[in-house]
Amino acid sequence: MNDRPKPYRLLPWIIPGTLVVAWWIVSQSGWIPGYLLPHPKDIAKTGYAYIFGLDGNGPYAGRFLTDATASLLRVVMGFSLAAFVGVPLGMLSGRLEWVEKLLSLSVNGVRAVPGISWLPLSLVWFGIGMKTTVFLVSLAAFFPIYLNAAAGARAVPPILLQAGAMMGVGRIRGTFAILIPGAMSHLVAGLRLGLGISWAYLVLGELTGVPSGLGAVIMDARMSGQIDVIIVGIALIALLGQSSDYLLRTLLRMLFKSARRTP
Amino acid sequence: MSTRLKLISAKPAQAVEPEAVLEVQGLSKIFRVNQTTLHALENIRFQAGTGELICVLGPSGCGKTTLLKILSGFIPPSAGQITLNGLPVFRPGPDRCVVFQEDALFPWLTVAENIAFGLKGRGFGSRSVRQETERFLSLVNLEAFRDYLPREISGGMKQRVALARVLILNPKVLLMDEPFAALDAQTREEMQTFLLSLWKKLSHTILFVTHDVTEAVTLADRILVMDKNPGRIRHDIAVPLKRPRMRETDAFHHHCKHLYAMLRTEKAE
Repeated sequence: MNDRPKPYRLLPWIIPGTLVVAWWIVSQSGWIPGYLLPHPKDIAKTGYAYIFGLDGNGPYAGRFLTDATASLLRVVMGFSLAAFVGVPLGMLSGRLEWVEKLLSLSVNGVRAVPGISWLPLSLVWFGIGMKTTVFLVSLAAFFPIYLNAAAGARAVPPILLQAGAMMGVGRIRGTFAILIPGAMSHLVAGLRLGLGISWAYLVLGELTGVPSGLGAVIMDARMSGQIDVIIVGIALIALLGQSSDYLLRTLLRMLFKSARRTP
Repeated sequence: MSTRLKLISAKPAQAVEPEAVLEVQGLSKIFRVNQTTLHALENIRFQAGTGELICVLGPSGCGKTTLLKILSGFIPPSAGQITLNGLPVFRPGPDRCVVFQEDALFPWLTVAENIAFGLKGRGFGSRSVRQETERFLSLVNLEAFRDYLPREISGGMKQRVALARVLILNPKVLLMDEPFAALDAQTREEMQTFLLSLWKKLSHTILFVTHDVTEAVTLADRILVMDKNPGRIRHDIAVPLKRPRMRETDAFHHHCKHLYAMLRTEKAE
């Protein structure tokens, strides 16, 4: 990507740039009142205070680090749980017909239930806080991870497995040296989708009144009518979501040849 | 050239009956599809001697690929027995390596890693794996491409990697399933010459499936001519031509004509 000509590298920033400029013009002209959509200038100020905690921004000043750590921990835990269950189970059901038969009805049944419907139940089961959020995140992230792992395992060309068999490769090595690398592009796709959904369900879990977390801040700011804090929260979630996706891809490329070398 | 001639003279044609490595007896394969039965193979029997290069020649649909799949252990026969050095064969294993027609290299491994793949995980030290990999890289003239991925090299090179990754395992029999059929005519001829030169160096027993008469006459010590519906071996003929075989010679043409005539009469029946 880096050896592309410069205009190409600017391309992704055109839409956000245009939006910010349009927003600036709208706010400056006063077409939309500040209590509905604050001026970008004020957002920047609030964001700065929220992150670095300098001039008193009331209860939110300098809370970013605490909130981000809490949220990240929940996402990482929920996502990891989903990945550790989803990848092996998905690959098994992609390779073994009886596993597929055993799971498909139940998985599709549970998948048909919108994640939000689990919220009341998980509040009863796990109470408000960490456990509920992790439960919701891992439940939601499981499906794309599982389904893509199954599709990936099915899509590994049989000739590669035959090649392994005739070279004397056993089951265990076949799984790690042929099946997983062969399914890698699907696995990566599933994990990235799962991580994206993790952030969505993180906010849902945190809306229920946990003391810290980015979702909690957004909800809290709505109560106190601080639109600027809500927008700062949204922007930071977007930023963290993007960065975590980038980190995930980098990590997978570092760990697996097949993630680096297959398109 | 001189070494090649020397090696030929060192290998007198048909002087002694070679010891059988692979023995196939009464092999049949029946496929049942929608209540119709297809006799893909019927009572196949032959022997392959140590160091022999045997071509299996036949029209498409005569079951020659099925035969190879049974020999390699990917599908079971309906009846019959295969023995390798006197021991029965059931499942795929590195004593009967296969070079497939299509690209079957691991796309996420480099040329060198593909060649080393079979050696890994069977108790060799990493140094001896590296040494052997180097040896076979140079044997197939791909030292300069060791770090390339399969998608970055040509079809001929890929099949050279496919050869190296199985030859490194020192199989008792090398099974080749129309390995050069997907290559262009010029590369195919180069690969045939290359295979013969490798065979001279390593003297493996090779069973080479093809539908190309010229290819069979170029390569084989013996040609098993197959027939279809049911698939069986119709003729087992020796090719006593000296190597290197020149396609322009009368003797070569004569053999080709003879084989074409055989294939035609089978079709007519």
